[in-house]
Formats: sequence, C-alpha cells, structure tokens
Amino acid sequence: MTKKQSIIRRGPLEYSKIKWLKYFSVVFFIVLYAPIINLIIFSFNDSRLNIVWRGFTIKYYVKALQNETLILSFINSLSIAFISTMISTLIGLSAAICLWKFNFRLKTYYDLSLLVPIIIPEICMGVAMLIFFNSVHWPVFTIWPLNLSEIIIAHISFSFPFVVIIIRARLGNLNKSLIEASKDLGATEWITFRYVIFPFIKPALIASSLLTFILSLDDFIITFFTSGPNNITLPVKIYSMVRFGVSPEINAASTILIMIVIISTVLIIKFLNYEKDLK
Amino acid sequence: MDSWKVKKKFFTFSIIPGFAWIMVFFFLPLAFVWIMSFGEKSNIIDVVITGTLDNYTRAFDRVYFKVLAHSFLISLITTFICLIISLPIAFLISFSSRRIKTFLMILIILPFWTNLLIRTYSLIAILRTEGHVNKILEFLWIKINNVLLFLGIYDGQLTPNEFIPLNLLYNNFSVIFGLVYIYIPFMIIPIYVVLDKFDKSYIEASLDLGAGQIKTLFKIIIPLIYPGIISGVLLVLIPCLGSFVTPDLLGGSNSQMIGNVIERQFKSANDWPFGAALSFLLIYITIGLILIHSLFSKKIVEEKIL
Amino acid sequence: MYKNNRGLSRRNLILGSSAFAAGLTLSPYSINAYSSEEENKLNFYNWDTYIGEDTLSNFKSETGVVTKIDFFADNDELFAKLREGNPGYDVIVPSNNFVEKMIEANMLSPLNHNKIKNISNIETRFLNASFDKNRKYSLPYMWGTMGIGYAKDKVKEIPDSWSFIYESDKYSGRIAMLSEAADVIGMGLKYLGHSINSKNPSHYKEVEELIISQKKHIKVFAEDNGQDLLASRDVYLAQEWNGDVGQVMLEDNNIDYLIPKEGSLIWEDCLCIPNGAPHPNNAHKFIDYIYDANVGAEIADYIQYATPNKAARKLLGDDYNKNTSIFPEESVLDKCESQLYLGEDILKIIEDSWTRIRAA
Repeated sequence: MTKKQSIIRRGPLEYSKIKWLKYFSVVFFIVLYAPIINLIIFSFNDSRLNIVWRGFTIKYYVKALQNETLILSFINSLSIAFISTMISTLIGLSAAICLWKFNFRLKTYYDLSLLVPIIIPEICMGVAMLIFFNSVHWPVFTIWPLNLSEIIIAHISFSFPFVVIIIRARLGNLNKSLIEASKDLGATEWITFRYVIFPFIKPALIASSLLTFILSLDDFIITFFTSGPNNITLPVKIYSMVRFGVSPEINAASTILIMIVIISTVLIIKFLNYEKDLK
Repeated sequence: MDSWKVKKKFFTFSIIPGFAWIMVFFFLPLAFVWIMSFGEKSNIIDVVITGTLDNYTRAFDRVYFKVLAHSFLISLITTFICLIISLPIAFLISFSSRRIKTFLMILIILPFWTNLLIRTYSLIAILRTEGHVNKILEFLWIKINNVLLFLGIYDGQLTPNEFIPLNLLYNNFSVIFGLVYIYIPFMIIPIYVVLDKFDKSYIEASLDLGAGQIKTLFKIIIPLIYPGIISGVLLVLIPCLGSFVTPDLLGGSNSQMIGNVIERQFKSANDWPFGAALSFLLIYITIGLILIHSLFSKKIVEEKIL
Repeated sequence: MYKNNRGLSRRNLILGSSAFAAGLTLSPYSINAYSSEEENKLNFYNWDTYIGEDTLSNFKSETGVVTKIDFFADNDELFAKLREGNPGYDVIVPSNNFVEKMIEANMLSPLNHNKIKNISNIETRFLNASFDKNRKYSLPYMWGTMGIGYAKDKVKEIPDSWSFIYESDKYSGRIAMLSEAADVIGMGLKYLGHSINSKNPSHYKEVEELIISQKKHIKVFAEDNGQDLLASRDVYLAQEWNGDVGQVMLEDNNIDYLIPKEGSLIWEDCLCIPNGAPHPNNAHKFIDYIYDANVGAEIADYIQYATPNKAARKLLGDDYNKNTSIFPEESVLDKCESQLYLGEDILKIIEDSWTRIRAA
C-alpha cells in the first residue's frame, strides 16, 4: 500500500479489512479448531471415555510418554513423512517444470497419468503395493531409515502428483516475458531457474510440501499394506487402538505433537526474522 | 513453451525423475491389480487370470450405479462447499501482510497434524446428540426463553416445549461436513498459491474503471485464478470420491459410498478381482470426466493446467 | 524409553553401513528360517491393548527374547496382509472363523504341542474345536460373546430378544447395529431361527429383507464404537461385543449387557503361527509362556476378557470370575454358536446382500 492509499479508510485491495470477510474467517477458524480444542481438553480428562468430564489428570500424558510402541510409531511416522515430503517435492518440482516448459508428444498422457495416483482408491493402491513388494522380493531391512523404505516409496508415489498440480497452477501465472528478459540478458537456463523461476514458485513449493507432509502423516491404508513387523507407524497403531474407543492417551499424544509443531514454527519464524534483521 | 528437441539435455534431466518414478513405483504395481481384474478366484487366495470380463459386467448391476451416483453427488456438494469457503479465506491470506500470511498458512495446516481418525472422533464428540453444539444451542434456547419470560412477551416457552437436540450426526449432512473439514486445505492452498502472485493491479484497474466488486470478482479475479480453482477442485473432488473412513464413521445407515464398497471387496469379501475391476471403473470414469471437461474448456485448460 | 530407542537406532546405523550390502541380497524368508539356533527375536501381530502391560518385557527378562509388536484392527486386515505371503510375523491372533479360513488357505503352520507344556492349563472343552480339529493349528487366547448393550435409564424393559434390534420400532432412531456384514447377517439368521452357519441362500434373502425393512429405525451401523454411542446416549440399544460394552460398564453403571434369549455368537481369538514365520521356536516359547498361570492371570486381569486358562482363573477373584458380562451362565452359552468359515460362495452372498442393504 502506498501512503496515499492508507489515508483512505479502506483501500480497494485491503480485503482483510472488509467486515464480513473478517467475521467469516473467524467463524472458519473456530470450526477448524473446535475438534482440536476438544481433544486437547479431553486429554486431561480422568476417564477412559471422551464423554463426560470427570476431573483433571495428567496421567494419560505420563502413560503416552511411557508407551514405547506409541513413541516408536510416532518417530517412524514423522520420519516417513519427512523423507517422503523431501523426495516428492524434488520429483514433483522437476516434473512440473518439464510439463510447463516443454512440448512433446504423449505430453497429455503423461499429464493424465499423474492424476491416476490421486484418483485410485487408496485400498487398490495399497494392495498393488503389497503385491509389488512381495513379487520383487523387496529385502527386509532392520536399519533405520531403510526399514521404512517400502512405506516411503509408496507415499512418494501418491504424493508427488499433488506437488506437480500445485506448482503448475502457480507456474501458469508466471509472466513469460520475465523469462525472455532474463534470457535476453544472457542468463543460462540454470541462472534463469535460480533467480527467476525458483523465487516465483517458492510459496507453491512450501505450500505443497506442507500438504504432502500431512497426506503422508494421515495415510492409513497404503501404509498398512506396505508395513511389516519392523516398521510400526502411528496410523496403524491408532486404527488398532480405537477398536476399544479413543483413549485419552492418544489425545495426549496428539496434543504433544501439536505443541511441538507450534513451538518449532514459532522458533523458525523468530529465527528467520532475526536473520532478516541482521541483514 | 519449447519443443523438447531444443534443449534435449534439460528435457531429459527434468522428465526422468517423475516419469521413471511413476512407471516403476506406481504403474508397475498397478499392472498387477489391473491384470487381476480379468481373473477369477480359484480358491480362497489364488486368482487365475482367465481374461474374463465378468468382474466388469458384474459392476454394471444397478446397485453399484446407485452407490456411484450417491458418491458423485456427495463429492460434488463437498467440492462446491469447499470452493465457497476457500475463496474468501484464500483472499484473506493473500492480501494480508507477509508475517500474518505465514501465520495464517500454518494456522490452516496445524489441525491436520492430528491423525484423521482422532480428528473424526473429536468431530463426533462435538456434533453428537449430547455434544457441544447441541449443548450450546440448548443453553441459548433456555436463555432466550428466560428473556422472553422476563419481558413478558411470551408465556415463557418457545415451541416446542422442550429443546430438541439437532440430529447432526450419522446422516449425509455429517458426511459432507466431515469431508469438507478434511479436504478444505486441498482447496485453500492451490487457490492461495495462484492468487498470491497475480498482478493485483488488474483488480485495481477494474475497480477504477467502475466495475463493482462482484463484477470484478467474476470477470477478472476468477478467470485469472482459474488454474488454482481447477487444481483445488481436482484435489478435493477426486479423493472425496474414493473416501471411506468418513462415511464409515460419520455416515448413517444410508451413507455408503463407492469407496466403502471397494474397500469391502479387498477386505471382508476377499474378492480382489472384483475390487480391482471396481477401482479401475472408477479411474476410467474419472479420467473420462476430466477429458470431457478439458474438451469443453480447451483453451483455458491447455494454457494453464492440462 | 525414548533414549533407548534413539541409542539403538544410532548404533544400528553404524552397524548398518556394513549390513546394508548384506541386507540387499537377502530375501525375506531366508533369514534364519527354521534353524534351531534362532536369533532372540519374535514378531507378534496382535490387536492393540490385547495383552498385559508388562507381559512382553517380562517375557524378555525371562527368556531373553525381544518381542516386536505390530497391530491390526480387524481380521480382514490380518488376512489381507498375510494373503500374499508372510511379511515376517511369528505369532498372530485371528478369530475362530478366520483360523478355519487360514487353515483352508494353507497359511498356518501346525503347532508342536510337545513344546507347549502349559497346554495342561487350558480348560479341556477348549482343547478341541469345530474350526480346528484337535487344535492342530491354533490355541485359544481369549473368548467372548456378542450381545446387546443397553442404557438402563432409557430402555424401560430388559431387551432380552434380538427383536429389539432386528424387528422393532420401539426405540426407532436409537438403535446401533454392527457394521461387519457376516456378524450382522449371521445374527439375523439366528433371530429368524436358523443357524448362524446356514448355507441356504434363501435364508440369507430373508435376513436381507428383514434388515432392509428395519433400516429406517437404525441410527447407525457402528464401526467399532457402539459402546461410545451408548455411553453418550446417542443410541439406547447397541449390538456389540461383550468386551467393548464391558469397557464402558466400568465407568457407567447405567449400562448393561446381555445375551438375548434366541442365543448368540461365541467368538474365540486364537494364537497361531503363520507359515514362513522366521522364529518358530521362539513362537512356541512365547505361546507356552502365555499359558503360564501367572502370566495368563496378569493378561486376563488387564484386558478383562474371558480366558480359557483355568489355572489363571484360579488366581483371579470373583470380580472377574463371577462377572456375567465376561462369563455368561452355562445355560445361555448352550444357545450360542461359533461362526464357521462358510466358504467363498456363501461369503459372496453375504457381501452382496450387505451392499444392497446399505444402498437400499
């Protein structure tokens, strides 16, 4: 906003100051967070059932932190999500650039084929992966993170197309004259990528990696069919656990995870701002 | 857009990772299941590939059409609601200051760090007959009654005489609510990603030239962020079609979706060939619809996304 | 615990660099298969919260065998997972009809009863089973029944008949059925006076019509949370497993469980060793350990299901032994049947009719 505009009570583009938009988003965030707040509150409930409040306790936190398999599955799931996000972002990025930059025969087919992992019912893909890893005699590893390799591979397969779709949506808006200008000035492909394209798609990269991360963290069916005795994961543990109803232990564990995320993002943002100040 | 022949090296380098990955780690595994869809069960676990089309013809039973139509309806409604909600939210984020932008993005993603199942059960706790929503409504109902009584306007009671809790769970409403809740970031994020970087002077120009906000929205903004909307629709509509956890947990006795039927073929029915056939039919139908859509809006789609 | 795991994985990483090359050449089943000198490991595939809190760590301190546990949520998952080959599990816990199905599909290896000394602790009536002659492949782990859980403060009479669930509008909109096709339809057969294991297709047609006409009164086909729905009074009557209802009965005195007069279904979860188990010796050792009186008592006391281990029951008090939701009276049990594996054709009839019921 320029100075002149800020004198006017609300500039034409200050959508964040429109009243109904504000109220709408407040309601949106309340609804979005209601279940989360509910589970945080009930993680302190002194009852195995999440139904009536029976007094405050932290015993489920103690239990969750003492539950060896729960912690192991937590670490496994986070590792899977982290590694598969990194790899699928890289693969997705290269595929998106390729599809955006080049014309080639069979391009439409490649394009459509990238949609199939999104369309396919999860269980069908899970079974496909199960048969595949069985018939190629995928080796059994007991070493971290190789013990997670099957799950990671399957997760990359269904999540990198998401990255492609999001990055391409963003690239669709890239002003091609920028690239021509860069080339006219003698920049190589790499320089153009590094200084023109990359900064432009950076938000899409971040956004899509956030999405793939939660996709991976949430996936149950495909993970179930690709896991074995050496790689228990959180969703598999949780799906089996809730057979007896959701125990506050799970709520406690989820709360801890949310707190870790909040604290680490706050720290990262602080750190980034600090760096910027230094500059 | 360049022809691939111009920069062969760059082209090869950029196409190989994605192409090789999807071929080896997706289509190759999928081929096993595809072949299976032309097979017959010979005993409990063995499938003989006979080239039969029985599994496909069996899928043309009326009951599966009914389920499929129901799934499409639910998914379309969900996608539409997601879109309606996401547009203003994406607007709000992309027109916020940089620092708030990051904050809002994280705020949207954060709830999804909790497992889907846990979130769904928490949603159940909120929506059920004795859940928080009904508790709040009952509280308000009593308060309003008290105010009315105090003012003497009404003889103390709204009709009906007792607060009747809303049935918010175990019907199609709750399935749609749950699906919107799960898939909303997959709509917000693509729209935001596109909205964020387009040239905002277009909007200003349009407003300056006397077009109203609404007109600007439909004539300028929506066409410009069309790629984002299309991506969002793809990322919400398609996964919705195959979803089964949400209809299972939040749905009532009538909320069976095609995802549930397919899941049962692979699990309790132990009929993998039929499950495979159903899955592939779903894939064909979806791809068919995408192709039809791209024919109709060929120009925009070719340029921007497909 | 957290520290231990980390330390372990770090050490594994260092060892790993050399083991990596070796690991690549090994196929899943060649590792130590059937050698008498097994590594001290065991892979246990179980339902969650279905074993004593300290059972596995005690087993380790007693025998030195480290148990890795992995979980499944239902029998169908277990079956689907093992169908294409055993990914490395040593002991699994399928229910009776699945034991039979897996025997038929040649997925289980026979147990060596000589290696399981504590088998003498098992009640004699469990030592033969309709689904596994002479217990060649399976031993009973826990058993229970299906019945009706109900809210005493909302239901005026005692719902002692399946008609309350299957053919009544009395508590319309407050009834939950289970969501597993075979269980719901099987119980419908029982209600109509047929056997749970009927092989007559026309009986299934009858049940289908019965459930379709009852559907408008049913609030939900509950996945596995019928007990929660009862506790929150979203429903007043729920078709449920005894153990699940037992969980809420501990906290809510107004909830009760009964087996209707028409009889019901008895389930039995069994310990089995799947084919291709990498550590069969440890698996036998583990099964033997489970039937030790003290160990059995500890497990039964923690998970509150009916144990077939008579020595263990002697160590537990009346709270457990006299609890009728865990151990129904003999006269009631006589009217119950256990589900058999009916063959793929009947299963297909059941599944198809379930799809029609849900879509109706």
